[in-house]
Amino acid sequence: MTPADMDQALELSPRAVRPSWRDRVLRGLIGALALAALIAMAVDVGVTPTALAAGSGKLATFLRAMIPPNAGGELVRIVRALGETFAMAFAGTVLAAVAALPLGVFGAKSVVPQPLLHFGFRRVLDMFRGVPALVWALIFVAAFGLGPFGGVLALAIADVPGLAKLYAEAIENCDEKPLEGLRSAGAAPPVVLRYGLLPQVAPLMASQTLFFLESNFRNAAVLGIVGAGGIGFELEERIRIFAFDEVAFIVLLYVVCVAVLDTISQRLRARLA
Amino acid sequence: MTAAVEVFEQERRRVLRRRRAEALIGLLAFSALLALAFQRSEFFSADIGGDPLGRIGEFLARMVPDLKAEALLEDRQARGSLAWWYYDLPLWLRTGWQTVEMALIATTAGAAAACFAGFACARNLMPLAPVRFVVRRTLELIRTLPDLIVALILVAAFGVGPLAGVITLALSTFGSLGKLFAEVNEEVDPRPLEALEASGAGLARKIRYGVLPQVLPNYASYALLRLEGNVAAAAALGIVGAGGIGVELQRAITYTEFDTYLAILLLIVAMIFLIDIGSEQIRHRLIGLGAKR
Amino acid sequence: MLELQGVTKRFGDTVAVDNVSLACRRGEMVGIIGRSGAGKSTLLRMINRLSEPDAGKILWESREVSRLRGDDLRRWRRRCAMIFQQFNLCPRLDVVTNVLVGVVAERPLGPTLFKIFPAADRARAVLELDALDMAHAALQRAGTLSGGQQQRVAIARAMLQDPDVVLADEPVASLDPVNAEVVMEALQRICHERNVPVLVNLHSLEIARTYCTRVIAMAKGAVVFDGPPQGLTPAVLERVYGRRAGRTLEPLPAVEAA
Repeated sequence: MTPADMDQALELSPRAVRPSWRDRVLRGLIGALALAALIAMAVDVGVTPTALAAGSGKLATFLRAMIPPNAGGELVRIVRALGETFAMAFAGTVLAAVAALPLGVFGAKSVVPQPLLHFGFRRVLDMFRGVPALVWALIFVAAFGLGPFGGVLALAIADVPGLAKLYAEAIENCDEKPLEGLRSAGAAPPVVLRYGLLPQVAPLMASQTLFFLESNFRNAAVLGIVGAGGIGFELEERIRIFAFDEVAFIVLLYVVCVAVLDTISQRLRARLA
Repeated sequence: MTAAVEVFEQERRRVLRRRRAEALIGLLAFSALLALAFQRSEFFSADIGGDPLGRIGEFLARMVPDLKAEALLEDRQARGSLAWWYYDLPLWLRTGWQTVEMALIATTAGAAAACFAGFACARNLMPLAPVRFVVRRTLELIRTLPDLIVALILVAAFGVGPLAGVITLALSTFGSLGKLFAEVNEEVDPRPLEALEASGAGLARKIRYGVLPQVLPNYASYALLRLEGNVAAAAALGIVGAGGIGVELQRAITYTEFDTYLAILLLIVAMIFLIDIGSEQIRHRLIGLGAKR
Repeated sequence: MLELQGVTKRFGDTVAVDNVSLACRRGEMVGIIGRSGAGKSTLLRMINRLSEPDAGKILWESREVSRLRGDDLRRWRRRCAMIFQQFNLCPRLDVVTNVLVGVVAERPLGPTLFKIFPAADRARAVLELDALDMAHAALQRAGTLSGGQQQRVAIARAMLQDPDVVLADEPVASLDPVNAEVVMEALQRICHERNVPVLVNLHSLEIARTYCTRVIAMAKGAVVFDGPPQGLTPAVLERVYGRRAGRTLEPLPAVEAA
């Protein structure tokens, strides 16, 4: 590399030969600032190495106490609680589906073509989609007393916005051509919906509902923490008295149940697709 | 001709009979399950104090704040004003911000760890099969544990406060992003990697110049999506004592201030909504960049 | 001199490269022709050691490169530049960084992880790009370039490796005729100016005849012809491409190339 070569290269593309240091420094600075902000936040909420170290010893004791898992002679009760959790998930999902169906139809652009109405409706659904079921469960249990009633209601309400949105999308994304074909053959509107729309959207909706059932089974397990019954209640009780061998047993059993339900539901969804 | 029709009709009847039987079994199974579910969950027989509809009406009435049109904009002392409804707004905003902080820290920590895990269990980047197997199983195990159960145990260990919540969220973020990152890594275009290998580059340089430029936009997009979910999850974690605005929800319930609960709930909804919109903007820009390449 | 002695590669039951022996001198432009699946790609990939030969030896200046391991192997790969049919650039990196990838293996790991290269490397990259008439695009993302431009960037990358041997695996198969000409002329120039052996896999017989000083024809993994392009008689082509090509001579390879 002679100086002449260097000059020639610089003339051809100065920035490729000497990348701007200012850019680099700036980028480094932004990175450093982001890191500093993150550390400041961590300190603000109390996430510090000392705090971590302080709790890890206890956590290690807990984990050691989990082995070997032990049913504590209450297997029947645990299985019954698992059944109750599934019952809550199933009932909640069905209620949510029933409520979401009309909302979904109403939310579909092809059904309600008024853009402002459509946009507003969807935004409201979007806003409430994020509220976790536990937040609903807390207030329903307070209002209606301990027991699965509040849990089922919480699961249903937490699901409605998400399901309604998916239903609406299923209706919007359906292929127009079969409907057109039916109309051209002189079919009445109900017939068009029955033979044109329903065969397209029903499997999709069913599959999405099953997906929600899966996630509800996971959510239902924690509702017991706020008093909505089921396996969450059993778990909370045992964590409070530090019976970690029983906690481990319940969690393991529950994980197996989740896996089984997921497998069944995936099979069903594969058949629907 | 008639024979063909006969064969068709027979076939049709057979298929129809089978389909009807299947549908009937399915319907029966579904109804039985549904009946059992409602019975087990005591939904309809639930004792919520008699007169269920009345109870629900009463509950809704208690949740809606007693706002008065003429006092709406007055200060906290005036019963029926907005300020009276949101009487502890500064505290709620502070704890709300704490919830966002929890989500940010947990997402960053979880995503950083997931980067390593994503490389350690990608078929095309990690040649040692046992390492891939162990990392993959670990991620799977973490994903199956319900967040709030983990949070309960961690609150018992680390005490009440955001630390337990942050660890919980970081763990579950690690589990889900680790899997997603590994999938992104495995879908990388192998040709630039081959060119790097052909020019004598080792694994580190292959990752830096062949993999990272391809995967980073996808990583960022997944991490942002996860951040949205984590803000909502962090809000719920407060209910079990893991810090943030959820603690205030729990307090409102303890004092049976249902209208306060609604106030905080709406605040949470707005907060999640704002984060979603912001992150959506960034994600769309990231994807836009991706489309241009 | 690059020498192959009885090089063989099997994939399961099929023999991809069957006992190939040949030698190339510096400054020789060798076209390797044959139908798809004749073993051309595998042959080149074994020379760079992207594939391991099952038997035989590969030597460079009497040193056995088919035995190299670890750092020695990576050093050989650096000296044995490879150009690919699909360019194999990273579309999201800018052009000059893609070219710098040619020296990335030689520079210390730390700085390269932050894309920090000596100014001399960058200047060389720009000059190599300029030699291929691509300096104007140095800061563009590689993905925004056309196929012909991308291949020229890939050649610049290969040149930055300061290669002792250049291997090109179907470098023009994805390009239109005009770009194919530009790329083949660039390879020819490199061959003469740097006095290195250039081995090019080609689908098109015509291109091989135009640019190469020597043609090696392969069929079913074995070398069936090795000599100047003038020696490609219809009888030879029949052995390479099968019966139909022998009769009609040009059309079949041309169609395959398109």
